[in-house]
Amino acid sequence: MFIKIVKGDKMKKLILVLLLAGVVPAQTFVVESVSGDVKYQEGGSESWVSLKAGDTVGDDVVISTGSNSSVLLKGENEQFKLGELAAVSVSNIKTMDIDELLLALAMEDIMNAPKKIEKNSDNTAVYGTETGKDNKPIIKSNDFGIKRLNGAVELAGNGFEESAVVAARETFRKYPGTKNIPSYRIYFANILYNKGLYEEALDEYVDIQKLKLTDEKRAEVNKKTESIKMKLLSE
Amino acid sequence: MITSINIFSQSSFGFNGYWGLSPNYNTPLYSFESNPSNYSHLKDWGFSFVYGVEFSGKLNSNIYSISLSKTLGSHNLSARFTPGYQKEFLFNTGESIIVEDSTSQSLTADFTYKELFGLGYSYKFSDDLNVGFTFRFFNQNFNQEIVTPVFDDTLYLVRESINEDVNFWKGDLGVNYMLNNNLSLTAASVNLLNFGEKASNPDFKDFEIKREIGALIGIGWMPAEPIGVNLIYETSSSFQASLNAYASNFGFGLTIFHDKLQLPYIAGMVPSVSYKGDIFELFISGVKYFSDRKVKHGVSSFLNKGISNVINNPYSFDKVLLTVSFNINTVAEKAVKFIDVEIVKDIYPTFTGNYINYPYAYGTVVNLTGEYITVKPSSKIEGVNEGKIQSPISAIAPYDTARIPFYIIIPESYKSEKTSLSYADFYVETKGDEPDDQFQKALLVNSVNSWDGRVSNLRYFIRKDIDFSMNHAKEILSKHKSELDTLPNVLEIFYEARILFNDFVSRLVYISDPRATGEYVQFPNQTFELKGGDCDDLSVGYSSLLESIGIQTALVDYKTNGTVRHVNVLFNTKLSPDQASLITNNDTKYFIRESLEGKDEVWLPVETTSLTDFETAWSDGADKFNKEAISNLGIATGKVEIIDVY
Repeated sequence: MFIKIVKGDKMKKLILVLLLAGVVPAQTFVVESVSGDVKYQEGGSESWVSLKAGDTVGDDVVISTGSNSSVLLKGENEQFKLGELAAVSVSNIKTMDIDELLLALAMEDIMNAPKKIEKNSDNTAVYGTETGKDNKPIIKSNDFGIKRLNGAVELAGNGFEESAVVAARETFRKYPGTKNIPSYRIYFANILYNKGLYEEALDEYVDIQKLKLTDEKRAEVNKKTESIKMKLLSE
Repeated sequence: MITSINIFSQSSFGFNGYWGLSPNYNTPLYSFESNPSNYSHLKDWGFSFVYGVEFSGKLNSNIYSISLSKTLGSHNLSARFTPGYQKEFLFNTGESIIVEDSTSQSLTADFTYKELFGLGYSYKFSDDLNVGFTFRFFNQNFNQEIVTPVFDDTLYLVRESINEDVNFWKGDLGVNYMLNNNLSLTAASVNLLNFGEKASNPDFKDFEIKREIGALIGIGWMPAEPIGVNLIYETSSSFQASLNAYASNFGFGLTIFHDKLQLPYIAGMVPSVSYKGDIFELFISGVKYFSDRKVKHGVSSFLNKGISNVINNPYSFDKVLLTVSFNINTVAEKAVKFIDVEIVKDIYPTFTGNYINYPYAYGTVVNLTGEYITVKPSSKIEGVNEGKIQSPISAIAPYDTARIPFYIIIPESYKSEKTSLSYADFYVETKGDEPDDQFQKALLVNSVNSWDGRVSNLRYFIRKDIDFSMNHAKEILSKHKSELDTLPNVLEIFYEARILFNDFVSRLVYISDPRATGEYVQFPNQTFELKGGDCDDLSVGYSSLLESIGIQTALVDYKTNGTVRHVNVLFNTKLSPDQASLITNNDTKYFIRESLEGKDEVWLPVETTSLTDFETAWSDGADKFNKEAISNLGIATGKVEIIDVY
């Protein structure tokens, strides 16, 4: 009964958002500075090319950094710094509002083949070593999935939190092993929570509870879950 | 000497009395006398038999009439044989002869009037209006004894007879109109058409039945459901008035009649009782004259009064009659009726599934009965279907109206390349094989290559030519067998799709229009034959090749601004996301879709109008998909739609 109320509200929101949605303009950035090993991949290319200061990158470019490397991009209104061992699509460096975030999250279901069946991930792969603090779960790894998540964390750190969630969700789909790293999952779930997207955050926390968690993280997740339930019930 | 007499007057007299256009019975309507327009309630065949006894001093029994009637749609035909419709007069001529023994012998005359048979026809223009006519055949036999002198050596007087048969037809026209359920009107001619023989002997001329032209008008009024009041008036001043009552299967009628040539003013009455079964009607009726009919009339009386008509005249006797009628209905009763049919879709013959799963027309059908009925709808499109195509059975409440959907099957053999204006016949059946009602409506049947511009309907073009595609795909892949055999199984689909695409584009030399704006879509074999096409033709062709060998595909509909569309293809590699790195180092070139089984699988977009090679087409497809479907949120806003082919 509780779930039904949540889903119904979500649909109403989505319909409203569909009416409001507009077209996001293309992004172009100039590379301000490059430090260390920074490469990019353009369009459908299979190869990576070194990035140099002064280069211009469009929204069909993916930038990837190596260990102890970084790049600073400057757009018309935005500036973005990508730290080490991270990868980001330039098209994700953009400001989105909550409605656009909701639309992007809904696309995941819409894109699926006709009918979705609930499933649990059975991938238990462990990636790299977590080095970040609780509020920035950066893992040092050359695994591209981890790099993608680190890039998403960087997006959030640069103020593009909605884009960060979208990038992270896409990474979790394309690199299923990354879905089992609690710190990233909790990090992006917390963004949803903080933005007041309680239904979406609850879905994440419930899924995270199925992972192997430390006592501390489990307590945090349980606390958030109970908090959301209380909030939703009181609405 | 016999002088002339008048034989005319009340024409409308019938043995069952006058019942107007009684909605409950058909029996009184067999009477051409009171029903000159041949009005009938019959649905199919009817048969009537009248047997009676006449009280003329001694009992005379007679078969008065045998009638047969048949309704064909709005037409009704009736025929009547009337052996008992006759009257014979025998009297002295007033002359006598003295024979040799001095005894006197009177000369006699014998006149017989007969109505032998009649025919009727009527046409119902509507439930309210009926027009018809009747023709009746009469015979008059005149036989008179005379004395003829024979001159020889002496003068002889020879007694002999002169005899003459005179036949004629009389015909009348009539019209019936129902003002409403309670009030009906009848108007008809009397003796309008007369043709046939005339008596050649001057002695008989004046004894022929007079046929003065007149008219009659009838009115039937049912003030309350079980009671009816009827009046019929003739221009000769004669009339009949009747009261009828109905209760359950029984009926009662009492008719009184005035005949200007009979006394008293109300000359008699015709009481009758009736019973109506499922297929038969039974009438027992009597004719009671209020004047004494046992009095013997002299010649002078006959000369003065004449007779009214053959079956009702001053010399007619009281009667009791039994009438049995059968209403044999081999035509099913109409339980439902069409009010209208609305065509909601033109026919695109290739969209076969569209018409099996979704109605192409709706019929508005009314239940004419007081019971719940199930209706079996069916339809047939001229030039498309050879027989009726059944639609799902619907139920309709008593006297209710329902909107019934009609589905159709387009046969695989239908291959017309021309669009034509055809028509569909719609049927509703409630029992038996004969439809209760049918309705015809024009509709547009497009050519097999016609397309309505909906990308979702391109799937029908993909399926339709699947045999050609399968043979072609197998032939191409067989040439790459050794290459495919060395691959890991998980990569088989990817490489098959790549080989087929590269072969496909190598056969094409042009792109007519990269946008999906046409109303014409080629089948894959036509694209190969023509060596080109637009985006929908190429997407159909490539998707069909992949589907034919079991590779799952989807069409991507880029609606853009709503008028200019583009379409390309997504296919399922069946690779898991972890296996995507086996085919690409670029994670923007593939997309994850969850299968029906809940498994995430890698799908690749392919721009079919990119007539170069697979890698370029894949890259172009991914670029477009990333921009319009993902970054611009096209999937979520509905501007981009993924349509799975199966």
